[in-house]
Amino acid sequence: MNKTSTIAAVFIAVMAVFPFLVDSAWLSIGITFLVFATVAFSQDIILGRAGVFNMGHAIFFGMGAYTTAILNVHFGLEIIETLPFAILFPAIIAILLAGPIIHLRGDYLLVATIGFNIIFEQVLKNDVFGLTGGPNGIFGIDVVRVFGYELWSDTAIYYMAFGLLIITLLIIRNLDRSKYGRALYYINKDEIAAKSMGINIPYYKLFAFALGAAIAGAAGSVFAIQYSAVSPESFSFMQSVMFFAIVLVGGSASLPGVLIGTFVMFVLPELFTEFKESRYLIFGAAMVLVMVLRPNGVWPAKFGIMPKFLKKKADGGDK
Amino acid sequence: MKYVLEIENVSKFFYGLTAIDDLTIRVKPGQIYGIIGPNGAGKTTLFNNVTGIYTPEKGTIKYKGVDITGMAPHKIAQMGVLRTFQNIRLFKEMSVAENIMAGYHTKSKQKWYHSIFHTPAYKKDEEAAWRKVEELMDFFNLTRLATTPTGDLSYGNQRKVEMARALAANPELLILDEPAAGLNENETKELTEIIRKISEMGIGIMMIEHDMEMVMSLTDYITVINFGKEISQGEPSFVQNDPRVIEAYIGSDDEDEDE
Repeated sequence: MNKTSTIAAVFIAVMAVFPFLVDSAWLSIGITFLVFATVAFSQDIILGRAGVFNMGHAIFFGMGAYTTAILNVHFGLEIIETLPFAILFPAIIAILLAGPIIHLRGDYLLVATIGFNIIFEQVLKNDVFGLTGGPNGIFGIDVVRVFGYELWSDTAIYYMAFGLLIITLLIIRNLDRSKYGRALYYINKDEIAAKSMGINIPYYKLFAFALGAAIAGAAGSVFAIQYSAVSPESFSFMQSVMFFAIVLVGGSASLPGVLIGTFVMFVLPELFTEFKESRYLIFGAAMVLVMVLRPNGVWPAKFGIMPKFLKKKADGGDK
Repeated sequence: MKYVLEIENVSKFFYGLTAIDDLTIRVKPGQIYGIIGPNGAGKTTLFNNVTGIYTPEKGTIKYKGVDITGMAPHKIAQMGVLRTFQNIRLFKEMSVAENIMAGYHTKSKQKWYHSIFHTPAYKKDEEAAWRKVEELMDFFNLTRLATTPTGDLSYGNQRKVEMARALAANPELLILDEPAAGLNENETKELTEIIRKISEMGIGIMMIEHDMEMVMSLTDYITVINFGKEISQGEPSFVQNDPRVIEAYIGSDDEDEDE
């Protein structure tokens, strides 16, 4: 087993028993960590892998949350029935929004995505079509019902978030071992070399957007379930900045890196509640320090994914 | 198919300056075609027109009889025109094997959902891809370096990885931009042998090279350009003794970087 798999296995084992070790306050912090880690990993597909400077990732997270809320509260769908919409809708919107700007250079694209995020926040705050509920958002989201069981406890919600994170990690694992996943890395490292190898750059960048948005949407759905409410400030531009920073501070395309990033940005403030008000000050300083001292993140990604037989040959195992 | 590449009366202008002036070049399958000329003559510009980085203002470029003038670079690559770069463009942090795999991109039949679900079709495709990478690493004597990040390799090995990456796409036209630049004598000798073997596979090769000894011994046909214009064309023995070529070389400053 390699280092990343070991870290993943230990992490999953600890998180699996976590609800039995802590009180309810910590359990809800645990849920938040799992949900935000999922969103961070989905942003890592777009930013860390494809290298697209997406500064509007909270849009897709928010779309998932609002899709579940609106379909449940206004249209009476069961939570479980809203999930496919909360995944597909953000993915489709991601392609529609990113399509016209995908050819832009990093810095220009970043500004455009900020613009999208600001528009999104305004749409939510202004109760468009009487659906988004205005500045206060939407309340009274139902509990999850599966086969007649009501899954209302925090422990149940914890395991939903946990399940989603594991699915996300499995998708990323498979992505990294596929034509599409590799194409994202090639584009990230050198666009001219990538297109000279026949890679259609906008197509693969849009694929990254759609996949990242779909996962963020699913996480948004769990987020809505956790609070049984959604409101605009959870999906503001500042939230997008956090997801962006997690990936770069933790380490692009690095599993331990993104987990560390999420922990520092979302869990550490809960550990030091007295610092909570000044958390942006601490984050600010941490972000500056990491970028100066470790420009590739706290835990940079390692490459070299290939089948065992090639690794063995490289080590001289064929002799 | 008589020619794998036909460059017909191609001109390229930059802000009124003529970078390439009415060039006509035809490359046959399995032929090693040399493009030489003083620095700044427009050689790399010519390559960038063929690979779609630039679009020529005049003339047509045909690959296997199909007009590819002004096509997007990735489409030209998908058709089978692959290249290496003068300044080496490898994915530095990634291993040798992963770099070579990039060339297999156009050959892989994987669909978008194979990045999420690893179906039997995925497994078959993935296995074939890595076997191709293995074969190329054996051919280029890079197997021991499979897991090494390409940024850590010697210049000579980096040039080999770039060539292996291009070959992974099963090209019918291989474009080499100064493959021997920065190599020592032994590395150059090894590379010359490799290029000859590649041409024996029936792949047309068009190369820019400043190492005259290598060019004269390796190429089948040469076009000499200066200030974007053809000044001579023919077999190495002819070009070598052409007074126009000698004049162009002696009368030029060889110090500056190309382009």
